[in-house]
Amino acid sequence: MVKNMNAEKKKTENVAECGLENIRMKTQNLSVFYNNDQALHDINLDIACNKVTALIGPSGCGKSTFMRCLNRMNDYVEGCRVTGKVRLDGFNIYKDNVDTILLRQKVGMVFQKPNPFPKSIYENVAYGPKIHHLIENKDELDALVEKTLKRVGLWDEVADRLSAPGTSLSGGQQQRLCIARAIATKPEVVLMDEPCSALDPIATARIEELIAELEQKFTIVIITHSMQQAERVSDHTAFFHMGHIIEAGDTQKIFNDPEHQKTKDYIGGKFG
Amino acid sequence: MIKIFERRTRIAMNRVKKKKSPFIYKSYSKKPKHKWLRKRNAQEQRFKRTGVFCILIAFFFLASLVWNIFSNGYSAFTEAQINLPVEFQAELIEDDAYRKIIQNSLLELFPGIEDRKEKRELFSLISRNAPHILEKIVEEDPTVIGRKSMVWIPASSAVSIFYKQHLYEQAKRSGKISTSQVAWVTDLARTQNMRLKFNATFFKNGDSREAEQAGVLASTIGSFMTILVCIAMAFPLGVATAIYLEEFARKSWFTDFIEININNLAAVPSIIFGLLGLSIYLNIFGLPRSSSLVGGMVLALLILPVIVIATRNALQAVPPSIRYAAAALGATPTQVVFHHTLIYALPGIMTGVILSIARAFGETAPLLMIGMVAFIADVPKTFTDPATTLPVQVYLWANNPELGFVEKTAAAIMVLLTFMVLINLLAIYIRRRFEIKW
Ligand SMILES: Nc1ncnc2c1ncn2[C@@H]1O[C@H](COP(=O)(O)OP(=O)(O)OP(=O)(O)O)[C@@H](O)[C@H]1O
Ligand SMILES: [Mg+2]
Repeated sequence: MVKNMNAEKKKTENVAECGLENIRMKTQNLSVFYNNDQALHDINLDIACNKVTALIGPSGCGKSTFMRCLNRMNDYVEGCRVTGKVRLDGFNIYKDNVDTILLRQKVGMVFQKPNPFPKSIYENVAYGPKIHHLIENKDELDALVEKTLKRVGLWDEVADRLSAPGTSLSGGQQQRLCIARAIATKPEVVLMDEPCSALDPIATARIEELIAELEQKFTIVIITHSMQQAERVSDHTAFFHMGHIIEAGDTQKIFNDPEHQKTKDYIGGKFG
Repeated sequence: MIKIFERRTRIAMNRVKKKKSPFIYKSYSKKPKHKWLRKRNAQEQRFKRTGVFCILIAFFFLASLVWNIFSNGYSAFTEAQINLPVEFQAELIEDDAYRKIIQNSLLELFPGIEDRKEKRELFSLISRNAPHILEKIVEEDPTVIGRKSMVWIPASSAVSIFYKQHLYEQAKRSGKISTSQVAWVTDLARTQNMRLKFNATFFKNGDSREAEQAGVLASTIGSFMTILVCIAMAFPLGVATAIYLEEFARKSWFTDFIEININNLAAVPSIIFGLLGLSIYLNIFGLPRSSSLVGGMVLALLILPVIVIATRNALQAVPPSIRYAAAALGATPTQVVFHHTLIYALPGIMTGVILSIARAFGETAPLLMIGMVAFIADVPKTFTDPATTLPVQVYLWANNPELGFVEKTAAAIMVLLTFMVLINLLAIYIRRRFEIKW
């Protein structure tokens, strides 16, 4: 309890002095094992406050695994073991006394595969605010749902069928619905695992606008396989390869003047 | 130079295309030239025909079952009645001698019968319940006293069957009905003093020693009370067990052990649950014997493992990604279960539960063990009253050699099957209506 309060205090301090290079999340010697296979090796990465951090790297290199460590979704994966530290506002979220429920409200997540609830579209978006008591009454909730759906560019498509099940939408619409669902809960850190993988260029542009908009207030981590997208939306980039971070730093630097040959090859499309 | 090369390659490619390949067919005839294709088609045909054949066999057995029951049982839904000229003599009514009144009117119909044996045969044309019917008429309308009127009175069971099925020869030979009785009935039928009516008694009465008075009301109500107890106990227990095992318990050797045991329990013969109920509920807890309470509790033990298994399967069918989605929004494990997993699994759970209830509804053996096989004529009023159930009633009547109970048995089976069909239709409806497509 005391520690939680300390964390609160520390957080407010952090937010207060949240400068350009302030660190919101930080991993220290983070290793992840699936049964006995090591998927991540001693990852040290800082995630800056109110910035977009892009994670890039070939398929199977451990990006999703890393992202799941940031809100402890790995707890749900059978056989998964995490060592090392992940700090949110300086506080190690892998300590035993952490309330993972509160953590996950603060650190929201959009999954790689769209997974809307088979409830109505409205309920999908309204669920998070409801369980966290973020709204006072029905009107407020209606307004929040509408606003959120507009932000992800889905409102025009679903306005007349809010009571249809979320699973009845197309793949790309489901993906946007899941983004809406995640940001309706008002998280402070948003983790997005390939949010645009099933979207057309127009919807992608909308999501990228949204990311730019969210960046004002939130810290964003995004996984993408599109180098152009990483370059467009992110401030920092980390390049993963076989469970190691090869290079991390300023996006401009990584894309224009990478230090490692592997990074250069990957960005240049030589492998991956 | 390059152009020529290009043209050559194009020509070469065309040639390759034109070359005959066994995999490109000019026609899509059903009788292909290639032997392996003919073989493949024959294989498909063979498989289809086998399937149709199996279905036909299953259907044949089903149809003969239904036909057998129906042809035996449909006649139980009607009863034969005789039109009697009844004289409500005041002094006889005062003496409660309704039997005498009936006998008088029968003698009036067929005058000149003196022989004692013949008289007895004449009197047994009429249901033994006839005096009660007259008593009721007088109670309802005392003005009939002293008057004479025609009253339709139910015939006895043997006469009723004889009249309904026109088995004159058969009935005569089997000695169930005498020659003079046959003559009287034929006479009555000719003068239109006999008729067939819908047998409301069958649905209004409990069991009886007299076939024409026996009904299914008591056993039907007993069945429903038993099932109610069974659901009230098995549903919450089974679903809660399954939710805990599936969603909360950490997988360990202990949960595996429990799972194996539950699967084994589902395969235990039902009579053993009856013995268990006998020794625990009756002998240790001292609950009332042959009551619907104990019956329901025994059946609950029986279907508990089935419900647990059905619920676990339904929960497993909910994709894990849905649980992750809810958890990532900051839902507690309990919220994940009660807002999502359980809701989405509910149609599957309900289907499983309803089907297991259908099983409990038709269960007989364990109920015999706890004394529900006793002769019970009254409709049970509370859960501790002695009761019987429909399948047990079928069992009891099937063991009764009297001719009248044969059709009652078949008719009770028809009632039982009707409820079964309704329960199964409900299960299908729920599955169709609420099923979630992922
Ligand atoms: N649940 C799991 N159980 C066992 N191994 C896993 C599990 N999830 C991931 N892995 C392994 O961990 C490694 C990293 O997987 P991860 O999903 O993090 O890759 P990724 O970088 O997100 O790939 P992609 O770009 O294709 O999504 C892979 O080798 C994978 O096989
Ligand atoms: Mg991934």
